[in-house]
Amino acid sequence: MSVPLSHVLIVASLMFAMGLGCVVAWRANVIMMLIGIEIMLNAVMLTFVGGSAHWGIADGQLFSLMLMALTSAEVSLALAMVVYLHRRKNTVNTDQFDSMKG
Amino acid sequence: MLPTYLTLMLLFPLLGGLACAVAGRKLPRALVEVLACATVWGSFACAVLAAAAYTGPQVITLTDWFASFDLSVPFSLYLDPLSLSMTVMIGFVCGLIHVYSVFYMREDEDYARYFALLNLFVFAMLTLVLGETLPLLYLGWEGVGFCSYLLIGFWYSDSENADAGRKAFITTRIGDVALMIALAWLFQLFGTLSITKVNGMGFLMPGSVITMLGILFLIAAMGKSAQMPLMVWLPDAMAGPTPVSAMIHAATMVTAGVYLLARLLPLIGSSQAALAAIAVTGGVTAFYGATCALAQRDLKRVLAYSTISQIGYMMLGVGAGAVTAATFHLLVHAFFKALLFLGAGCVIAAMHHEQDIYKMGGLRRSLPLTFWSFLAGAACLAGIPLTGGFFSKDSILLAVWLKGGVLYQALYLLGLLTALITAYYSFRLVFLVFAGGNGQVHRSSGLTVMELVLVPLAILGLLGGLLDLPAYLGGGYLSAFFEGLPAGDLLKVSHEQEIAMQILAGAMALLGLLTAYFRYGKGRADRMREAQAQPSVLISFLSQGWYFDKLYHLVLIRPYQACADFLWERVDRGVIDASVDGLGSGIGGAGRLLGRWSTGKVAVYLISFAAGGALILGYLAWLAL
Repeated sequence: MSVPLSHVLIVASLMFAMGLGCVVAWRANVIMMLIGIEIMLNAVMLTFVGGSAHWGIADGQLFSLMLMALTSAEVSLALAMVVYLHRRKNTVNTDQFDSMKG
Repeated sequence: MLPTYLTLMLLFPLLGGLACAVAGRKLPRALVEVLACATVWGSFACAVLAAAAYTGPQVITLTDWFASFDLSVPFSLYLDPLSLSMTVMIGFVCGLIHVYSVFYMREDEDYARYFALLNLFVFAMLTLVLGETLPLLYLGWEGVGFCSYLLIGFWYSDSENADAGRKAFITTRIGDVALMIALAWLFQLFGTLSITKVNGMGFLMPGSVITMLGILFLIAAMGKSAQMPLMVWLPDAMAGPTPVSAMIHAATMVTAGVYLLARLLPLIGSSQAALAAIAVTGGVTAFYGATCALAQRDLKRVLAYSTISQIGYMMLGVGAGAVTAATFHLLVHAFFKALLFLGAGCVIAAMHHEQDIYKMGGLRRSLPLTFWSFLAGAACLAGIPLTGGFFSKDSILLAVWLKGGVLYQALYLLGLLTALITAYYSFRLVFLVFAGGNGQVHRSSGLTVMELVLVPLAILGLLGGLLDLPAYLGGGYLSAFFEGLPAGDLLKVSHEQEIAMQILAGAMALLGLLTAYFRYGKGRADRMREAQAQPSVLISFLSQGWYFDKLYHLVLIRPYQACADFLWERVDRGVIDASVDGLGSGIGGAGRLLGRWSTGKVAVYLISFAAGGALILGYLAWLAL
């Protein structure tokens, strides 16, 4: 293994932080938030793959495959929801969607 | 046969009371009345049969009541001359009062409750008298207290009457606490609560313990028998129906204290200090009651104070160690005081519930039967020579004098002075109510029967002296009967001395009668005029019962109320309620504050999530470093 695990983890955490930043910063736009979430999920996948390579166990690889399936499903659902929401309120700003107020 | 008689004697009024209480409202009125009277007369018949079958003091154990560890309290009854004479008297007087009640309460709708309580009262009193173990006695003791509370406050819709009931209950309860302490202590000392056993074991204990026990029993008797300083409830207890007053204040409840002390005299009599305390209480109370009775305007309150005074005499007798004399007076007093109360009831019923004696007069002609009976009762109360009251009061005074010593001689003089006052106020009552002018009364059909009830009582009161004639007239039946008692004592006195003392006491009574005649008989019109004016300081002092009520109000009730107010306003509402409320509203406020966080906006949740994640990470990093 040429790249040490710590490097992989550093990159992954940077990616996760950037994804989170994207979600928080572009909260006026649902699509940008989805992209941020995808980046965060990618960071997680990177961690799984890095760990799998480091300990020589295939479980992490399996999980990353499952995550890919999960994200594709999620995105297709999420995009459908975005379309639906946009139809209802004519906006994609998440702050307008607060009907689940406690 | 004796156990059967005693069981039935107790069971009759109990069953009568229960039947009236459970089914009284459903049954026809006449049936309830007959049932209530029949059970008490049945009880009296059993008492007479028991007296006929009586051979000597006897403990009759009916069944076990409870037993645990070394405490065992059987359900046992004790029949001796003291309890036997009490049961016969209670049965007879209460029977008459029941019959009288039927007519007195004609107008009252709540007859079922009335007769149920009256029957239960008789049951409780008989239990008290017959109980061989102190817990059984205590059961009856509380029973009469409970029934008297309900009967005094019988017309409870008037808050004054209900208050009078409560006052009686609470005041007597102060004495009951002392009795409870005495019982617990007796058990701890002797390991038994049987009266007969305890009475025989007094010598085992040092004198100071016996004195303390005597004082505790005295306090108990003070409450029940309305002795100084716990007498304040009895004048107020006149709020109940008049037959109830007659029953409580003549025959049953108030004599319970005297009975208790007489019963336990073999135990506490060995302590001279306890006896002196009893005698002083009795003597002072007798004087107090008589002076208060002088100034009362309410017919029944005069009699109430006179009861306090007469019970004081009985206590004085017990304090002099003369159980026979005290019981003699107790029995005769039951007859003539019941007579006076029932006579007063007739007067009140005929006068449309007017109780102010200054508004009465002339009833001699319109209610002749009541007049003659009442006169007999007043003569007994005053101790006019040859009436029952004369002999019984005199035997107490004689016993006090014979006891000797400065204290008892002073008490004798006080008793003599009280006798003078007693004669004076008794005839003040007679002159004000029956003498003089107009006597417009309202006669109802029941009044005649009520008056007829007075006759046997009047005869018994007048001839009560025959129960225990002085030795120079051939000796007394009661003295001989009581001779076998542990504390039964035959007075050893020369005939000349006894005659001299009786002449002295008789002179006092006649002097009181004459003074009353001149003041209220001849000067009746003047007194009537005076009564309109503002009462003098002395009169209001006496009519308010030496201001004892006000004193207690000032010393006990006011501080208690202030304390209760403080605890309620400041401690309960200010501290406890406020802190609980504060805690609740604090938590509620915090919840509302947190609730504002859930805006429903995804962004806020995300930032919160990120912040939380950062915090956890920071914490883990801090742990790892």
